[in-house]
Amino acid sequence: MSKKILVVDDSRTALMMEREILEKSTKYQCVTATDGREAVEKAQQEHPDLVLMDVVMPRMNGFEACKMMRQQPSTREIPIVLVTTRGEESYMEAGFQSGCNDYITKPIDGAELVALVQSYLGE
Amino acid sequence: MNDNKSDASGQKLSEAEPMNDLRLGAARKRLAESRGQEDAIEGVREIVANFLGSEEIGLFRVDRRTATLHVFWSFGIDPKKYDLVRALGDAGLQRVMRGECHVDLAARDCSGAMAKVQAFVPIRWANQTIAILAILRLLPQKLAFDRSDMELFKLLSDEAAKPLFGPSVHSKLATEGRGMRA
Repeated sequence: MSKKILVVDDSRTALMMEREILEKSTKYQCVTATDGREAVEKAQQEHPDLVLMDVVMPRMNGFEACKMMRQQPSTREIPIVLVTTRGEESYMEAGFQSGCNDYITKPIDGAELVALVQSYLGE
Repeated sequence: MNDNKSDASGQKLSEAEPMNDLRLGAARKRLAESRGQEDAIEGVREIVANFLGSEEIGLFRVDRRTATLHVFWSFGIDPKKYDLVRALGDAGLQRVMRGECHVDLAARDCSGAMAKVQAFVPIRWANQTIAILAILRLLPQKLAFDRSDMELFKLLSDEAAKPLFGPSVHSKLATEGRGMRA
């Protein structure tokens, strides 16, 4: 059974691109959500093997969603990679404090994204 | 035929070129699937932010009748303080009006900050430049525009006019916004 990635972004363009890259470059299956609250719900329902999540989103941002997932027993152990336009150390320190495992900056480099995801899930 | 391309069996993509094709395909699809003007504007913002790495954008309408440029929409810049004509210069403006992109290439100043990395993309309709998309200041992690970005500029130039403006709104929109001498 193929591994599952929950891709979260409020931008239809980013969601489309990230999904295309992952599904055409790997054998992973993708499910999507468009804000942090939906991401927390989908993570509980779908039990993904990894969450790839934007930071700036309506309703609930990526940091908050990350914290919530870390508080739930069913999602506590899922690797979370945040996608951000801001890669400054101080900003990403907040990301790591929220419980994320890693981050990648926009604009996303497809090969870098695939390599990062594979480092958690294997090929 | 490119052997790196994915097929129904899930053959892997591994080279930069197919990644660029995916990016162009996603941008094209996003523009084509826009649900009205507001959504098309959001689509352009998403494409520029996610694929080109800039969150400072201005869209200017060209009014050929009065030879003026009008701020139509902007994001991350103060349009009242931004002078497109000055930023482009005479030669740049002529180039964009002819339908060519005008790109100021990357340079880093002594502090390491990016300086003067910007692109001006003509939005074309019926062989005329009807608007100019100004893409200003790249995100710190994006060092410069590259060849694949030029392909995305071309796509925006050729395919953004219809979803952004549509033929029926050309004349109406030309009178909107702040006047700026071209």
